[in-house]
Amino acid sequence: MSELLHFSEHTLQEVALGFMALVYTIRILWLFGFKAGGERQAATGPPNTTPAKGILYSWANIAMPWAMESTRRHYLIYVQFAAFHIGVTAAIALSFVIPYWPGLLESRAVVLILQIVIGAAFLVGVIRIIRRVGSPYMRAISSPDDYFSLVLLTTWFFFAVLAVPNQIAGGEWHLLGYFILTAFFLVYVPFSKISHYLYYPFTRYYLGKTMGYRGVYPVRRG
Amino acid sequence: MSNANTRSLKAEKVLERMGQKLNRQMAGSLLACVHCGLCTESCHYVLANPGDPTYAPAYKGDLVRKLFKRHFDWTGRVFPWWVKAGSVWTDEELEELKDTVFGKCTNCRRCSLNCPMGVDLATFNRMARGLLVSVGVMPEGVAVVSKDQWEIGNQMGVLKEEYLDTLEWMAEEMQDELDDPEADIPIDQFDCDVVYSINPREVKYDPRTIADAAKIFHMAGEKWTMASEGWDMTNFGLFSGDDDLGGSVAQRLYEKVVELRGKQLVISECGHGYRSTRCEGPNWAKYDVPFVMESSIFTMLRYIKEGRIKVDKSRNSRPVTYHDSCNMGRSCGLFEEPRELLQLVCSDFREMYPNRAENYCCTGGGGAMSMSEYTGRRLKSGVIKANQLKETGAEIVVTSCHNCVDGLTDVIRHYELGIEVSQLVNLVANALVIEPKVAIPVEEVVEVVAEALPLAGRTLLVADDEPDQLEYLATVFEDNGATVLRATNGDEALAMACSEKPDLLTLDLEMPGRNVGEVYEILRKDPELESLKVCVITGRPELRKLIYDRSVRKPEGYMDKPVTEEALVSTVRRILELAHDESAAGDESTP
Repeated sequence: MSELLHFSEHTLQEVALGFMALVYTIRILWLFGFKAGGERQAATGPPNTTPAKGILYSWANIAMPWAMESTRRHYLIYVQFAAFHIGVTAAIALSFVIPYWPGLLESRAVVLILQIVIGAAFLVGVIRIIRRVGSPYMRAISSPDDYFSLVLLTTWFFFAVLAVPNQIAGGEWHLLGYFILTAFFLVYVPFSKISHYLYYPFTRYYLGKTMGYRGVYPVRRG
Repeated sequence: MSNANTRSLKAEKVLERMGQKLNRQMAGSLLACVHCGLCTESCHYVLANPGDPTYAPAYKGDLVRKLFKRHFDWTGRVFPWWVKAGSVWTDEELEELKDTVFGKCTNCRRCSLNCPMGVDLATFNRMARGLLVSVGVMPEGVAVVSKDQWEIGNQMGVLKEEYLDTLEWMAEEMQDELDDPEADIPIDQFDCDVVYSINPREVKYDPRTIADAAKIFHMAGEKWTMASEGWDMTNFGLFSGDDDLGGSVAQRLYEKVVELRGKQLVISECGHGYRSTRCEGPNWAKYDVPFVMESSIFTMLRYIKEGRIKVDKSRNSRPVTYHDSCNMGRSCGLFEEPRELLQLVCSDFREMYPNRAENYCCTGGGGAMSMSEYTGRRLKSGVIKANQLKETGAEIVVTSCHNCVDGLTDVIRHYELGIEVSQLVNLVANALVIEPKVAIPVEEVVEVVAEALPLAGRTLLVADDEPDQLEYLATVFEDNGATVLRATNGDEALAMACSEKPDLLTLDLEMPGRNVGEVYEILRKDPELESLKVCVITGRPELRKLIYDRSVRKPEGYMDKPVTEEALVSTVRRILELAHDESAAGDESTP
């Protein structure tokens, strides 16, 4: 292993992670700087609906594609969402496995599973790029950051698929590419839409609390 | 007005106030959108305007989001173009924002519930409305209605005398119908179990709902009252985004109930009124309400369950469907009680699909009915609701919201569906089982007099330049016994009023020829037309100032188009009967 690859796998990642954690902390503190909205009225809705139930339902919404009409009608988009985010998780995990637990990748089954999962995410990334560019609705709402983030992640998936076997016999470029992109991703994330997962628990918490208090969540259908 | 380098005063104020209004929930919603596009098809405007992305919820949200990013989020401050952050500089840009937040969204919250991220677009759309209203940028109708609610105390400018007269009239009708002189609409009674609040639309256009509710309270043996002031449970602050107005209106109502020492405030069927009074009002007014508040839906349901009233569902045998009001449903969770009630009072209830939290807006939400400049868009978007209604096969659509009544009526007329719109209170009143009184045989032969048509013997002048509208109004009046004269412009109306001396003139505010305001002023100043009553019937409420800003006697009646036959006849009849009562009272007091 070259010094550059060793640096990319360790020092570069640690610095990038530290930077991301610092910026995230600042972002959370900033968000908490806004006053919280309150509810003075008595609860509405059925007596068995509560803010706590609303919050749990709201958080669990992500795993219930049948709960919202938007995901129920567009189940393929939901499947893409699931594949994409499982791929993200796997690719992030890979950045820890290679430097700290390389033995895991000696199993061909593990390598194959990771490559399938991350490869599927790569394919979804390509589909998402096509959708974002091809649909007039998507173009109308997209910012440069939306396109860049998507291309960045899709490229990162590509390198991650190649990096999974953790082999340097044929050269280090794919591992270098993967780790440099991972570091860039960690630094860029707090400034981009990719940081949505940071806000997700808060938006869903507040919506769930309000809707639970008012008896709307859990949603009932007839 | 400003150039590109300096911000207009209004734009400056909007940004300043935005900083004061933002809370954590809104900031989270403004930060979290990932532009996934899944909300797009949840909006009825999008579905009715395929190919136009400017109706997409995420697109509309971005118009507000860009301001947040540019001025409150440092990523947007550093790289504005990268994240589509932007600012507002000119009054024209504020007008464009107005066109979207008022004219392309009814705040129905359907997109909020369909957003995987939990972005509550309706909440910050309302905030944007409030910011614009704070600098005077709003549709004319919103300004007019807000002014009425601030100054007169209710959003339709109903005067106290008009309100009390209507209650008295309805009480008399109820006494006649029940043949019970004890049946009454109590006013300002202390220590009652129920204080009943209503929508001013009921006084203006649909007094039948007041009579129906009164009948139900009476039959249930309820100790109830209505307030002579502070009775309007509607709240235009919800639509305009003006929390100050919202708080003030809500507090007026709460304080009246406290003053009357009422135990419970019952809110008549009105979606935004229920949400404003029951849910948002205490927050806006920062007021801890010391009494219970409930929708009349709960009250009626309880009366039936407790056996205080008896109903016979076979009296409502026509197929009925239910439209969930956005404010009652998606914002207050009131879904099952109306259905339970309908099952008790109707024999053929059919569900509409989608329903409950997934129902589509009636198109009249968010104050859309008062924004006539967007009527075309509203009716176009109504195709979604029209299809929903048609598929039920119902003859009656029931809703628990006065805005929905108007919105649905408009959609039904526009798409020629031939469906009747009703409210639960009407169906419950119709299903009431009223025990017959024990008849005391009388030997005298009572002469039966055939009931006269309500407008028999009256001469009405209808002034309207739209042939369809003119014919509709004239036909309704003729069917009810009136002699009708027709005018299609201001000059003609003036000439006919002077020559024919009708009892009442219905006046459209937008007609060719002489300005309608001038015509009105001339009529009012003519001593020979002292007794002429005028009822304005218009589709453009923002033109009211043509008449109401003049220093002459105000019209005796006012109605927004579209008008139903029932509302039209009852309003005109009330104006004429009040005129008759006044002249009779005048005669009595004359020595």
